[in-house]
Amino acid sequence: MTATTATTATAEERKVTVVEPLYVASAGVVSAAGLGLDALAERLLGGGEAHDEPVGEDAAAYPPRPVRAVRGLDVKEHLGRKGTKYLDRLTSFGLISCKAVLEGIEVDGARTGVVLATNTGSVSTHSTLLYDTLTLEKPYLVNPGRFPNTVMNSTTGQIAIRNGLRGLNATVAGGQTASLLAFRHARLALSLGRADRLLVGGVEELSAPAAWAWHRTGVLREGAALGEGAAVFTVQPGRPAGGELAELLACESRFTPDPRDYADGLAVAVSRALERSGVERGEIDVVSLGAVHQRGLEAVERRGVRVALGGAPAATLRIADALGETYSASGSMQLAGLLALWKAQPPVKPVTALITSVGWDGNAAALVVRSPR
Amino acid sequence: MAETGPARTAGKAAGTYRRVVITGLGAVSPVGIGADVFAAAIRAGESGTGPIESFDASAFPRRNAGEVLDFDPADHLKRLDPARWGRSGLLAAAAARLAIVDAGIDEGQLEAAGAGAIMGTTSGESAVVQELAEQWIQGGLESIDGGLAGQTPAARIANAVSSELLLSGDTQTIPTACSASNYALGYAFDLVRSGEAEVMLAGGADAVNRLTHAGFYALGAMAEDVPRPFAADRSGIVTGEGGAVLVLESYEHAQRRGARMYAEVLGYAANCDASHMVHPDAASIASGIRAAHEAAGVDPEQIDYICAHGTGTPTNDATEVAAAREVFGDRIPPISSIKSMLGHTMGAASGFGAIACCKALEQDFLPPTAHVTEPDPELGEGVDCVPGVGREARLNIVQNHGFAFGGNNVITILGRVS
Repeated sequence: MTATTATTATAEERKVTVVEPLYVASAGVVSAAGLGLDALAERLLGGGEAHDEPVGEDAAAYPPRPVRAVRGLDVKEHLGRKGTKYLDRLTSFGLISCKAVLEGIEVDGARTGVVLATNTGSVSTHSTLLYDTLTLEKPYLVNPGRFPNTVMNSTTGQIAIRNGLRGLNATVAGGQTASLLAFRHARLALSLGRADRLLVGGVEELSAPAAWAWHRTGVLREGAALGEGAAVFTVQPGRPAGGELAELLACESRFTPDPRDYADGLAVAVSRALERSGVERGEIDVVSLGAVHQRGLEAVERRGVRVALGGAPAATLRIADALGETYSASGSMQLAGLLALWKAQPPVKPVTALITSVGWDGNAAALVVRSPR
Repeated sequence: MAETGPARTAGKAAGTYRRVVITGLGAVSPVGIGADVFAAAIRAGESGTGPIESFDASAFPRRNAGEVLDFDPADHLKRLDPARWGRSGLLAAAAARLAIVDAGIDEGQLEAAGAGAIMGTTSGESAVVQELAEQWIQGGLESIDGGLAGQTPAARIANAVSSELLLSGDTQTIPTACSASNYALGYAFDLVRSGEAEVMLAGGADAVNRLTHAGFYALGAMAEDVPRPFAADRSGIVTGEGGAVLVLESYEHAQRRGARMYAEVLGYAANCDASHMVHPDAASIASGIRAAHEAAGVDPEQIDYICAHGTGTPTNDATEVAAAREVFGDRIPPISSIKSMLGHTMGAASGFGAIACCKALEQDFLPPTAHVTEPDPELGEGVDCVPGVGREARLNIVQNHGFAFGGNNVITILGRVS
């Protein structure tokens, strides 16, 4: 790229600058398929048994719909006993995935940060405490040890504490598109030298109140499963010595206030992501889709992709079929699915993939990814 | 956290980034609605806290909060249906509407500039969640209202702004608790300086709610009556709410349309204590302040004023002053807390701080710390918290603090536009 100065380059010229790739050095996944990319690949390739029942203390209180829960996770085995007293599911998923992602990586704490997608933090924690404030005779006697876990950056903060990560520590909310917004956020921070390396991903937990909220909104198709888990990736500008799991190219987002234009909004995000990745639309081998179980949005996403690519994609990956609806973590799970399959069955020639996401208010985002070369 | 990273950062040489200025302010606050009303109240040291009206606080030992009592969304909003959005989103959208009017920029110009909205929050749509919890208790989980449940995502705060103003650019909510507005400001600044957009809206919003109130009381962090940051007899925070939005614009874009420029965003830094969820760390904050100075290209002696995080808890204020002492030595700039007047507006707090900084630069005054008669001698020599009411002063470069649970520190540096 030529070193044109900002004052002479127009916005449009800068917009089409092809981005430098970022590299995924490692991945940490906690999902209904189990721990890690291998378990996920096995599930995606038709192995393993999917359960549809909720787990946990409030399992009996769930609505009548399938749930793809993370099962049999022994938190103390992974994290030790220290500091696990008030750990909610959300944070335990986040901590366990980050422990895996940092395995064997030399970390410079001052220059390493976290960018994590969330919906509203831990629904289980804040609904429990809120219930207490409304039912206790002395509503101010809520548990002070648990209260700090009600803030939405609690998981991100605890990841930093446990791993000594003193760099930027961002939590990003964007509904269905939150994970892709986190990747966009991370790309900007890395390109400006705000950190040398970032842990980027998304995490989502299930609970009876959250499941009822989904159930009552009626946005999910009949029989569509709810999901949970975490997928976190080490993202850095330099190619990792041990080889990469993927190259991340451009990530673009667009907001569309009018529901009639949602599909066009996604098409714009996809086209811009392709352009800034230096990728032609015919080069996309596979699209990892987001809103495959949501009434109305599913068609919006399909249409937006078709408009941007000039036809139906050659292949699609529907991660929610395996893991259920993981909402703010879905973009991270969509990436994890691609990485899992590439790891299990390395492509003969490099694959270029597209990850898409659309949300109910008009958020749309697209990320271009390449398999390792 | 140097401003220009190593050579690999996309081949950009130093100096190729745009200058970014603040051209519009929107405040929906406990001391008034509108940036000028807000600034006058701050300067006068007015109190925006009083008996809680938004929920039944009769069972609580402490019953004060900084609420925006005169907020009617219909007064401000052209497009959003108040029945479809939560209070936090409505506060944000109203503040955004005020901010673009203040900036003299219209929706067509915003669209052409690729504008979007980056909004911070602590508790998202907490008033909505509180209503759902009440339904749960009354009729069981199966009785909760689906429409209301659809209003709970934190993302809807930034979405409310972009929906109200028909923005198509980056729309992201950053729920990094009580430093969230500063984070949003920083991220929006990065988007504009790197050329992703010519204009961005940034700020934050939160609503007073039962859980936040109960939680801060349970932590032993709640003031008996009013917040008295830096005072010897300070006893904690008073919860607050509001919407704070700033218009960030590339210097060229602002100049081309002849916009008033309140301030230039000189730089910022974000770091994490990585030590404790709720206890701030002086060394880590000091390191964040130094990084912000380096990013902004300023020396400590150039800082004329610090708009403190200043919650008014014994620990926060002592830690914050200790961190400042570590960086500034014996010459700590005047350091005051507008939380003394607004209460702790959570995710909107550092947004209100940034607005106060802009108005202080424009109108030549130091914002005060209200309710302080005797500054705390334990804080050591040379701490000027501007007690009582504002003071006339010509300021050039100011520093805005935001610290949060989780150890999230974000420091923004604003300067008079040269």
